[in-house]
Amino acid sequence: MPGQALYRKYRPRTFSEVVGQEHVTRTLQNALAAGRVVHAYLFSGPRGTGKTSTARILAKAVNCLAEEGEKPCNDCSICRSVDEGRLLDLIEIDAASHTGVDDIRDLREKIHFAPSEARYKFYIIDEAHMLSTSAFNALLKTLEEPPAHAYFVLATTAPHKIPATILSRCQRFDFRPIPMKKIVGRLEWIAEQEGVEVEREALELIARQATGSMRDADSLLDQVASSSDKKITLLQVQNILGTTSSQAVADLVASLAAREVSRGLHLINETIADGADPKQFGQEIIEYLRGVLLIKVAGQNPPDVTPESAQDMALRAKQFSLPGLLTTIRLFSQATLDKAAFPPHLPLELAFVEATLPETEKTPKADKTRAKSRPGPRHAKERRETASPPPAEAKVDKRLPSRETKDPQALERIENLWEGLLTQIKKRNMHVEALLKSCQPVAVEEDVVVLGFYYPFHKGRIEEPRCKGLVEEVLSQAVGQPYHIECVLLADRERRRESPKKGNLQAVKEDPLIKAALEMGGEITEVKSPPPEP
Amino acid sequence: MWQVVGHEWAVTLFENSLAQGRLSHAYLFTGPPRIGKTTLALNLAQALNCTGKDKPCGECLSCQKTSQGIHPDVRMVDLAYQKGLLEGREGSTALGIDAIRSIQSDAALKPFEGRWKVFIIPQAENMTPEAANCLLKTLEEPPSHVVLLLTALHTDLLFPTIVSRCQVFNLRPPSTTLIREALGRRWDLEGERAHLIAALSAGRMGWAVEAAQNQALLRERNGRLDELLSLPGARRLERLSFAQRWGSQPERVKEILTLWLGWWRDLLLAKEGCWDKMENIDRKNTLLEEAEKHELGEIKEFISSIRETLHELESNVNLRLALEVLMLDLPSKR
Repeated sequence: MPGQALYRKYRPRTFSEVVGQEHVTRTLQNALAAGRVVHAYLFSGPRGTGKTSTARILAKAVNCLAEEGEKPCNDCSICRSVDEGRLLDLIEIDAASHTGVDDIRDLREKIHFAPSEARYKFYIIDEAHMLSTSAFNALLKTLEEPPAHAYFVLATTAPHKIPATILSRCQRFDFRPIPMKKIVGRLEWIAEQEGVEVEREALELIARQATGSMRDADSLLDQVASSSDKKITLLQVQNILGTTSSQAVADLVASLAAREVSRGLHLINETIADGADPKQFGQEIIEYLRGVLLIKVAGQNPPDVTPESAQDMALRAKQFSLPGLLTTIRLFSQATLDKAAFPPHLPLELAFVEATLPETEKTPKADKTRAKSRPGPRHAKERRETASPPPAEAKVDKRLPSRETKDPQALERIENLWEGLLTQIKKRNMHVEALLKSCQPVAVEEDVVVLGFYYPFHKGRIEEPRCKGLVEEVLSQAVGQPYHIECVLLADRERRRESPKKGNLQAVKEDPLIKAALEMGGEITEVKSPPPEP
Repeated sequence: MWQVVGHEWAVTLFENSLAQGRLSHAYLFTGPPRIGKTTLALNLAQALNCTGKDKPCGECLSCQKTSQGIHPDVRMVDLAYQKGLLEGREGSTALGIDAIRSIQSDAALKPFEGRWKVFIIPQAENMTPEAANCLLKTLEEPPSHVVLLLTALHTDLLFPTIVSRCQVFNLRPPSTTLIREALGRRWDLEGERAHLIAALSAGRMGWAVEAAQNQALLRERNGRLDELLSLPGARRLERLSFAQRWGSQPERVKEILTLWLGWWRDLLLAKEGCWDKMENIDRKNTLLEEAEKHELGEIKEFISSIRETLHELESNVNLRLALEVLMLDLPSKR
């Protein structure tokens, strides 16, 4: 007989064996003792936390023939036949394969027959979230008032997909991810039962990988147990999981800090050639960088770190600048998000190169406009400028308020805040927000923000004391210092951005599409921006 | 003899499990395309039903039937299988719930001649959500004579509930040295050519074998590379006409872009002096020259653009438009 998978062989058979769900098992046991078991339960929670197992245990407990003592006894004929999966009155429905309304109708027809062997009929509807809407609805009446001899347990990993009408008819229990320590404890016990020797560190690594799921942990232990006859070491587990030695991670971060691109690329390639999983590697780098960040910002050593690596981290914390460190972490987290990249190490290599590039060369991905305005082909540009006729001068915004912003940064700051301001104002007064949409800040002088309007109507409305007061109030709050506003009219609906400050025409010409158009014989006759959004 | 190249740790594990009788009923192989996931699954299927001594022997009737795909107890549940199920009705590009239901009814039957009934689901990430959920219960507790083997690009592309029911083997691309040796041993390919093919494959054993058997593949690659090299010096009009030429052939474009990705990654490595990790080793000198002409940031940026385009190809983009944008992003020679 082939060995059964460990997670099936060691499926919990009593309430006390269910790991890490005391809040559920204790309640159920109390309900059993007091005879207050209700007719419908919903068990929800992440994979491998014991939903189906608990449901089966409950099925045994309500039907157990033992006169006294703890239920289930696991000894009577009922308990045994449940364990062997041959009790006729335990009906386990795979709702993911039997999703339709007909399957539920079938259930409804048969539920009225009395149980054949046990005292109660026990229905376990597993993966209940996959039932169709009509199937759920067909179940409603039965679930609310089933015959006296029937119990229901619905088990699901996605309780949000269960209709509220079903939820309200069930007692709901949420299973939680199992803490790492408890998983280790259970693994130790299983390993002992199986006669497999495993290093404690190896078990901890398995438990960490399992992220709260006992079944994942059991599967891994199963896999690891076949890897050799002798004692199973941390190294073997690392090999199977593709985790990296902490030394490789520390070395990589060191070359990151020292901006040694060549060494870093070598390291990435070699670590992965040695069998590390790129995604795991990336996550470990992030974990390490997080340690560095903690030391840098909070000045305290991260937990679960050996003193030696804490020392290393402190060293790196001095080498990195705070913004640099943050960008690096962000870059690597992006790299680990890439699911099926080929070649697999490419995302890490790119993240590494980008993190080591000097600040000026960085082009963040989100900032498309900056990315696109990369320096283009120079020779081509020069050629074109002599060849093509001089483009007609773009219209000049002569009547732009003579005021010039003395502090261009202040204007930029306000412009950045502008969107947020609008939403804030919208909450208080929709009309004012709508009016403000047809203007834009054009200049900032000390504590006065100049707003440019396209139509006198809007300008007039905003100048009303009530509106003006509101805008000034929100603006001052957002910037953190008192500001006044002043309204001016922009003639000819021209916007500040169009004013051909010399760079503008140049910028237009830099645009790749316009370049292509020029190359195909186009000419620039006028530079216009799109009309303001209505 | 295990036919699969590389993945020794996985093979050792299987050998141990076979010897100790500790087989699991569900395995999941993940890893980049063409590194031998399905080959390993088929090998395992052979080993399970092999009647020879040194499992899988590859010579007994059962092994031969499996490798020819006619073993009655080894079922490849892929799109072709689904097409057969649907009997000519229009099938979709995803593995649907009907295919999984057929596994369930099939699994209930005892094997015809082998010891095990083996179901192989390649590219399990192609399953529809309904199909994946439908598989859950069978995957957790199948009948005692059933083994399910799944392959996927990455565990993240599957439901966690699926992954947690399988023993997961995260396969890594085999090293180029291994591939070179395997090419020499089994496909009689030695010297320069084996070296080049191994390096170019970057671990994709399937590609290496194809290239070893099909001379045209390398010739085509050379042509594509020349084209690529001419593009940075080309005027925009020529670049856009390139986009126009390939704009209607999404499958080919994917190959071309993958080739480019390899090339630009090599440029990145060349720029930083990591000679030994490069793929296109036959053009080392060109790579060095080219690397001189571009900034590091520029190279990195273009690699990102290629990858973005590859991503967009997955999501039903206007191909020609995507290529045109890529062409405009292509850095020019200085």
